Amino acid sequence: MITLKEALTLNPGELDEFKQDLSAKIKASNLGAYIEQHTGEAINTYGSGVPVLIKDNIQVKGWSITSASKILQGYIAPYNATVIEKMTANGLAAFGRANMDQFAMGSSTETSFYGNTLNPHDPTKVPGGSSGGSAAAVAGGIAIAALGSDTGGSIRQPAAFCGCVGLKPTYGRVSRFGLGAYSSSLDQIGPITQTVEDAAILYDILSGHDPKDATSAKLAPDQTAKNLNPDRKLTIAVIENFLDQAGDEIKTATRNAIKALEDAGHTIIYKNFSNVEHHISTYYIIATAEASANLSRYDGVRYGFRKEEGNLKDMYFDTRGEGFGDEVKRRILLGSFVLSSGYYDAYYLKAQKVRHLIKDEYNKVFEEADLILMPVTPTTAFEFNSKSSPIEMYLSDIYTISLNLAGLPGISVPVGKDKAGLPIGMQLVAKAFNEQTLLDGAASAERILSL
Amino acid sequence: MQINENLLEKLEKLSNLKVPDEKRSEIEQQLSDIVGFVENLSELNTDGVEATFSTVESGATLRDDVPAQNRAVGDDILSHAPKAADHFFIVPKIIE
Repeated sequence: MITLKEALTLNPGELDEFKQDLSAKIKASNLGAYIEQHTGEAINTYGSGVPVLIKDNIQVKGWSITSASKILQGYIAPYNATVIEKMTANGLAAFGRANMDQFAMGSSTETSFYGNTLNPHDPTKVPGGSSGGSAAAVAGGIAIAALGSDTGGSIRQPAAFCGCVGLKPTYGRVSRFGLGAYSSSLDQIGPITQTVEDAAILYDILSGHDPKDATSAKLAPDQTAKNLNPDRKLTIAVIENFLDQAGDEIKTATRNAIKALEDAGHTIIYKNFSNVEHHISTYYIIATAEASANLSRYDGVRYGFRKEEGNLKDMYFDTRGEGFGDEVKRRILLGSFVLSSGYYDAYYLKAQKVRHLIKDEYNKVFEEADLILMPVTPTTAFEFNSKSSPIEMYLSDIYTISLNLAGLPGISVPVGKDKAGLPIGMQLVAKAFNEQTLLDGAASAERILSL
Repeated sequence: MQINENLLEKLEKLSNLKVPDEKRSEIEQQLSDIVGFVENLSELNTDGVEATFSTVESGATLRDDVPAQNRAVGDDILSHAPKAADHFFIVPKIIE
């Protein structure tokens, strides 16, 4: 597949031909990365530029946008997300709906209403999630690039499982106007691409202040692509206890990458973070609390699916009971619990305090380092239906969630493969609004490891 | 902390959703497990730590209070709503 950089040089005739070929390839593929592959519809398109696949929770005017849920069946987006407007103004076109975990709640894309997406490296393995369709399509050669959203790792983890590049920008750097809200203090839109340079190109286009998003930082669009410098020498802090807890093959591949970075002139230092299980707890309390509020809008009144067999209250209960999948219901119920009177202080307030401690931990390491390095995932892609409980699934996110809690930018880059041929990713983290350093470090790793 | 039938009923009310009968005991067990897990935060001393939290250092940005309305968006939403008439959403009768 050509890169985004190359695609941006095609003339209109070449681009039309490319899109026809791409549509045929998507039709012939059995990955299930595009929702259109599940529903049998023609690929949704918007605009005439370079095609970029869009996660099914980002509004594209006139498209059915459903967060891969039953409850949003029948909903048609009445306007464009700001990121779609920006892409359209910069020669890119929304092209296809990417499969995902329902309402971005999941780590395997198995909670999608539409069905599974396969990992392009092994059809018995999950592509990761929640942006599993985005990553599988880019890695599987049926998308040049894709948009994902990342609340607790949903861009970086599938990028690692599929072997592509996934960037979660700083909280506030990219407008979320038009993104279906899951956890508003954590959600962020970002690119999933074949190369670090493509991630920089797409991120630059997406970034910048948006008056329609009150959490959007008052900064001009970034210009990381033209300033991308893989020769920059950086001080990189490896979180050693996180690395030690990862699976053996992840450990080996990451240690090899660290050695290569050191040989290339970067300074490596070693640090430890506190108990990773506290991150999981903090995340699941805050994310579910916010989700229980955000998802209250899906009530069968204004859009999507309605189940109506009694009075108004029955309609709410039945619409939401039938329209939401099990994982979504679990998270809404849990969010209602941690916010309810009698439990609020012990759970919700406690988690907000721990969030401070996590942010302080990052700040302390950044006093000495430009970047932080750790694994993306404890294992490579796992098999379908292999997680026996919700907690087991939650534990697959241990390395990615603390960034969202601290609002920091992070990137997943491929660093190798395990014995079975499944990709292994490495995660770099930078200070808030330091995407340039993040991308410079990632470009250096990409070049050194010649992937 | 055990999530029992009483508590699940309370959470269903707060969440405005119904858990089907055949899933109740499974969901009670899963929620109990998750709540049990997140209780590990009680190991941490958070005395004196501020509870308010925002990742946006300067707080939310303010803008001028200028009224704006895009009627086409409203019309479009109504045209795809489950039930609508005369520019209103229709819901089941509330007063008998």
